[in-house]
Amino acid sequence: MYGGDEVSAIVVDMGCHTCKAGYAGEDAPKAVFPSVVGAVDQMDVDVPDNPEKNLGSAPDPNSTVKTFESEKEKSKRKFYVGSQSLGFRRDNMEVLSPFKDGVIADWDIVDCIWDHAFRECLLIDPKEHPMLLAEPSLNNQQQRERAAELMFEKYKVPALFLAKNAVLTSFASGRATSLVVDSGGGSTTVAPVHDGYVLQKAVLSSPIGGDFLTDCLTKSLESKGISIKPRYSFKRKEIRPGEFQTVDLDFPNTTESYRLYCQRVIASDIKECVCRAPDTPYDESSYSNIPMTPYELPDGQTIEIGSDRFKTPDVLFNPPLVRTIQGMDNYFETAASARGLPQMVIESINKCDVDIRRELFSSILLSGGTASMQQLKERLEKDLLEESPQAARVKVLASGNATERRFSVWIGGSILASLGSFQQMWFSKAEYEEHGASYIQRKCP
Amino acid sequence: MAMAFKMATLGMKVTEECKNSFMEMKWKKVHRYIVFKIDEKSGGFTVDKVGASGEGYDDLTASLPDDDCRYAVFDFDFVTVDNCRKSKIFFIAWAPSASRIRAKMLYATSKDGIRRALDGIHYEVQATEPSEMGFDIIKDRAN
Repeated sequence: MYGGDEVSAIVVDMGCHTCKAGYAGEDAPKAVFPSVVGAVDQMDVDVPDNPEKNLGSAPDPNSTVKTFESEKEKSKRKFYVGSQSLGFRRDNMEVLSPFKDGVIADWDIVDCIWDHAFRECLLIDPKEHPMLLAEPSLNNQQQRERAAELMFEKYKVPALFLAKNAVLTSFASGRATSLVVDSGGGSTTVAPVHDGYVLQKAVLSSPIGGDFLTDCLTKSLESKGISIKPRYSFKRKEIRPGEFQTVDLDFPNTTESYRLYCQRVIASDIKECVCRAPDTPYDESSYSNIPMTPYELPDGQTIEIGSDRFKTPDVLFNPPLVRTIQGMDNYFETAASARGLPQMVIESINKCDVDIRRELFSSILLSGGTASMQQLKERLEKDLLEESPQAARVKVLASGNATERRFSVWIGGSILASLGSFQQMWFSKAEYEEHGASYIQRKCP
Repeated sequence: MAMAFKMATLGMKVTEECKNSFMEMKWKKVHRYIVFKIDEKSGGFTVDKVGASGEGYDDLTASLPDDDCRYAVFDFDFVTVDNCRKSKIFFIAWAPSASRIRAKMLYATSKDGIRRALDGIHYEVQATEPSEMGFDIIKDRAN
């Protein structure tokens, strides 16, 4: 058994949009950075630049640097991690996510993100700290074993634990039984937790999360003639005190994925500033005359946002609304198959045992960045009151504090890993060496 | 073994005092309710307060703190429609929103430890604010 209480554990919650990492026992993560990386293909750069390197001639200073850097890269790619290095535009840099459809598809990128969190953000040696990872409720066995392998083999952690997002959120709010609605960047997941255990068969997920809403807002603004200029594409100079001039810059080698990433950074800020869930289902006519809200873009241009403030969040409740947004044609299929938030809640509860349905209806917990949207809690509660069985006492609970709501999973992991009664739970290095990666299923069910 | 179950049953000790006072309530009817709390230093559950048999449900709700978690058991005596005297024991997990997250986490993960040591509980209620454990809810569940 691993007695991990002498050194503080490290807690990592890698969501689709942001990675949160920090020390167990603290009330907020130390490091919060995007879960995407910038990747530059080294083949493109190396071959034409120093052909002599391939011929095995004496290394010039230039190529020594490159070899050093290439220790970090995988399969001839060089990765850039963290908001700062991503904020710097590079020729041919693609922005890649380790996730595909809500599950991890590229482990090289995950490796890079973890490495960045440990060595550049937290400045720790992973060999010395037990590690608690938060995982999506729908993670499969293969994914969990892969995570354990990477942690023990590459990072040589002394002990590991994988805890499900929904369980952490539920415990952090003092409940062993609840229905957790986790709306994050890449997806929205509804998971019932009973006595601290996720009821896997009733977990539902939809691809509509914060990024999807951000894209809806961007397209909708574009259809009204407002285009968001990425920060790298212009220079702003103060020509006289208080007077600015914007000069467009042209970088033909910028990739489309990088342009989209930069645009999303701005659009998601607009969304967070102005959007709020409408009290009743959105309809075009009643929102056509609402007052406009101004927002100043980084290039100094002030835009006015009207009905989109309400229309964008309503997509969460009513996905087919996407059809009315120009330019979202590629997502019609997604929207057609996705269910609205209230339907997902009811459907998930109905898949559970009759005996616990009442209790689930009365403890619906919100977590994740998108769930922190203004008025979302009130709207969900209202819709559920109308659609749930009469006897149910519907109650949607969310932490009043925005940080707590956004980081509920990480905070849950942080507190859990610091409890005395948890220390017996760790999956230790010795156990890994004796039983192998598949033992994770026994240790962290 | 589910995570919380293992943490609660192997990691937390239930003192004899807890078991005995519960037995006294169940068999001798000398208590109306018992409030338990967790002592983190010793890693176990202790009795915080006992309510005399003359006290009522309001006395129990009044003895729960606004900003910390507790567990409570309540012996609910009532008369059914066909004039039959009955007694049901409720287990209440109290985790008010104003309490620290650490306390909520500790109490939620430890619940099974005490819940399983107390034999003869009929209903379980979890509450984060007074309205979730109102007397109407207790009556509702018992009938």
